[in-house]
Amino acid sequence: MTLLDFARGPALQWSLIILVAGIVWRVLGAILLSTRKDLSTPRRKSGLKDGMGTIASRSLPASAFEKRIRFQHITGYAWHLALFVTVLFFGPHILFFESILGFGWPNLPNGVVLFAGAIALAILIALLIRRATNPVQKLISNADDYISVIIVMLPLLTGIIAFAHIGARYETLLAIHLLSIEAMFIWFPFGKLMHTAMTFPSRFQAGTSFGRRGIKA
Amino acid sequence: MNTPSQAFTEFQVSLAQLGQNTATDDWSDDQRMERARHTFMSRLDRRAAVDMDTCIHCGMCAEACHFYVATQEERFTPAYKIDPLRRFYRREVSPMRLFNRLFTRKLDADDLREWSELVFEACTGCGRCDMMCPMGINISDNINIMREGLAAAGLVPGELRELQDEQREKNTLFGVGADELRSVASKLAEQGTQLPLDKVSADVLLLTTAVEIRLFPEAIAACAKIMQKSGADWTISTEAFEASNLGLISGDKASRRSAISRIADKAKSCGASTVVVPESGHAYQALRWESANELGEALPFEVLAISEYVARALKDGKLSLKPASDLGSVTYHDPCRLSRQGGVFAEPREVLQVMGLDVRETDSNRRENLCCGGGCGEYAISRSARIRQQAFDLKRHELDDTQADAVVTGCNNCRINLMIGAEKSGWDMPVISLVETVAGNLAE
Ligand code: SF4
Ligand code: SF4
Repeated sequence: MTLLDFARGPALQWSLIILVAGIVWRVLGAILLSTRKDLSTPRRKSGLKDGMGTIASRSLPASAFEKRIRFQHITGYAWHLALFVTVLFFGPHILFFESILGFGWPNLPNGVVLFAGAIALAILIALLIRRATNPVQKLISNADDYISVIIVMLPLLTGIIAFAHIGARYETLLAIHLLSIEAMFIWFPFGKLMHTAMTFPSRFQAGTSFGRRGIKA
Repeated sequence: MNTPSQAFTEFQVSLAQLGQNTATDDWSDDQRMERARHTFMSRLDRRAAVDMDTCIHCGMCAEACHFYVATQEERFTPAYKIDPLRRFYRREVSPMRLFNRLFTRKLDADDLREWSELVFEACTGCGRCDMMCPMGINISDNINIMREGLAAAGLVPGELRELQDEQREKNTLFGVGADELRSVASKLAEQGTQLPLDKVSADVLLLTTAVEIRLFPEAIAACAKIMQKSGADWTISTEAFEASNLGLISGDKASRRSAISRIADKAKSCGASTVVVPESGHAYQALRWESANELGEALPFEVLAISEYVARALKDGKLSLKPASDLGSVTYHDPCRLSRQGGVFAEPREVLQVMGLDVRETDSNRRENLCCGGGCGEYAISRSARIRQQAFDLKRHELDDTQADAVVTGCNNCRINLMIGAEKSGWDMPVISLVETVAGNLAE
């Protein structure tokens, strides 16, 4: 079995199993904990609207606070957008998804995707430097905060290298790219990449718990 | 204006003396850890678990916290204040706990001691960080859990401990109990305002606070006038008049519960349909939002802040106000625990507008309002005086920027903290009470 066969076969299978099982385990582990019913009389009925409202509002600029957190907001938006473009609109990626899902979609020109990938990588590097130097972030960071960023940088880096055919045979570069993605899948449920699954539930519960008191969170 | 009265000076002397004779617990570090552990275990429910699992350590919450913004000290970052709880969650509760133990340092009693400073002295529980967190984490709720754990471990600052014990054991605060209330009642009677104390049955149970009795008897008179004018069948109980709840602040469950039960029992025994909370933000939070959960049952009465009561009476035509002649423009300071934590935003503003006042908003307002810097028992803790003053300066600038004639607020604690800050910095914007302004402008 070549490295590429391994990366496409057992490594992919097992990393996906760990990814899915880990996410399910971790989400259930939190969601199944008991929580006491709030017995106070709500100011108004709260529910879906408040929860969805907070999901939406925390993605929008934060009025009075905004000027103090603009850097994080802009980098946050730019990073997630660049990542989506890179993952979802690169021709070979779409072919890969098509082989699994059975359908594909139009791709963006390679130059655009490469640019997005480079931006995403650059933002991660900037965020990593900020984490290591900004006094607040430095203080609150743990190993997971660094590991999670680095493990997301690797697929971007190996992807760009594979695209540019630098340093080794394309098959080997592709295998390394796949393996770096699989490493990320494996790490995913153990660290804070889990925020992908948790952010909306968390915002939702903030929305409803403040909402019943009459506060638009 | 803002010249300190003698009562205010004396009150500050009592504040300075707090904590000198506080009881301490003779526990070993292991015992303290065990007690904290027990509390954390019982309080880390689904809500808290989702919070603990979602924080991405972005640090944005720092920018919401007046203590960080004012001092730029990174230790005051809200997420850092709950770091021990998160570590505890990761090691003991998380579904990944076995794995997490490899990377997460175990909590010890020294951590608890260190964080006692951060969560009591450098947090007013204002909840501003909750509004800022992009992940929707309820940080102030988790800080409450921290406080409860620390209280269980006997690590509450001396000042709060002394007040909390006094309230639970003697049913007094700052030495103010039934006798002091009676003597204020007779003084007010001489001035023509009757307080119907201890009626056997009444529709409205009005509360007050030790702080009002000592410093702001005009606020009590104001509530009384409002009750009278609105035609309420009301009373104040000499056994259960104290709205403040030091246990809510210190995290001590027994104290919190006893203060709540005293009021709930009295309201039930006199058949009150409404309990009216005076100008005290944390008292509102305790009674309006915590009491049913603390007692484990829905309450048979409604809890209203005095500003809600006034707004409702105006709407129902039971009360009317004339234009305030001595004031033009005001800015309203939202007490954190009444507004951002309690949901009372609209009523105070409506009431001010009915009096024809030009209500100017500060740059941060309503759900984003800046804390006065000393709410929630903070002003009692002598060690936090420095950062409190720095936080006050932030607030002061926002208030000054409105160029209003006065700042109106609906909480005694905010009022005291603003007065202390004003005294120290020579700031001269008048700090006035909403309820006193209302009582001064009741239409015949
Ligand atoms: S803003 Fe929210 S997610 Fe970011 S560090 Fe603070 S608590 Fe964590
Ligand atoms: S609740 Fe208020 S004082 Fe406490 S950490 Fe959050 S912003 Fe700071």
